[in-house]
Amino acid sequence: MFVKEMLKQSLPLLIFCGLGGILAGKTLGEMTDLLENIPGLIIIIPAVIALRGNISTTFGSRLGSAYHLGIIDADNLLNEELKQNILGSLILSFLVSITIGLLASLITIIFFNINPDPLKIILIVIIAGMLSGIFLTILTIIIIYLVFKRGYDPDNITGPALATFGDIITMFCIFGSALFIEVLL
Amino acid sequence: MIYSWKRIIRFGLPLLTLCVLIEIFGGSIMQGGQNILINIPIFLISIPVINSVGGNIGSILGARLASGLHVGIITLDFKDKKMHENLITSLLLGVITYAILAIIIYYVALFSGLSMGIGLIEFILILLSVGFLLICIISFTSIVTAFLSFKRGFDPDDFVAPVVTTIGDTAGIILLFFIIGVVLL
Repeated sequence: MFVKEMLKQSLPLLIFCGLGGILAGKTLGEMTDLLENIPGLIIIIPAVIALRGNISTTFGSRLGSAYHLGIIDADNLLNEELKQNILGSLILSFLVSITIGLLASLITIIFFNINPDPLKIILIVIIAGMLSGIFLTILTIIIIYLVFKRGYDPDNITGPALATFGDIITMFCIFGSALFIEVLL
Repeated sequence: MIYSWKRIIRFGLPLLTLCVLIEIFGGSIMQGGQNILINIPIFLISIPVINSVGGNIGSILGARLASGLHVGIITLDFKDKKMHENLITSLLLGVITYAILAIIIYYVALFSGLSMGIGLIEFILILLSVGFLLICIISFTSIVTAFLSFKRGFDPDDFVAPVVTTIGDTAGIILLFFIIGVVLL
């Protein structure tokens, strides 16, 4: 009974997340030319996606706690608490993006003996990291607002929703920024 | 005011840097196997799917264990029956999800005109093997993290998801190349 109940509750959500993963993977599959032309690009991909996933889910769960503590609600959303959270998330994204770019460039030079363009890699990570950060912040606020309006518990909804949409949005942003930098530089 | 951007960065940066370091290791393995991924792009599409499903199943298991420990229906014992029940359900859930998604990925790749280089049965076999081994690793990580953090007096809810997704991402990439090597080479 237990197994059946859990399969019924979790399987649809897992398949849905998997379909999101396929969309992200399909985007990655379109990037084969870019991956060949920009050495080191593939190294940053898991790190940027994980960075985004981590920052946005903690952002979402802090907003959830803030709601339960009565600090924010649908009518009082854009206050100083939220601004501090947004600022913290974005600065954190920026700092970790630079770290990812530097490390990926170093690894490409040391272990793979190919000469990457560190400036290119670092710029791609920063643009992709910040752009996806801004998109996901806006998305989180919209989701949180809708959840508050309907009186649901944000803790049950923001996590899976952000995990699924986060991967897709981040993959799009990596693709876009790599293409932009490749054309520009 | 309870949130400040400085605190968010001070608490977030160390854990996030560690997480990104492990993810870059995973990315480096992808760089090492880049030729396989570019020649058989269906594997490139599969990576975000493998990781997102694995991370989700690990997080669900972790959250269930955390709640069970908090409420007292699960005890800190590796022979706990309720824990075994959850573990077996995760494995079952993983195998069903990966099997369904493998078929979808295959036909998405086929219909979008990618060069395949692999048959349906072979692909399902590879994805199921990777998925099964990954869920084993992830479940083990999830149980150990939940038990250890609970034992030390921390809330497992804070630890399981980030630990499981980070270790799961890297393990998923390593397992994929390992199984590709066993089946195809």
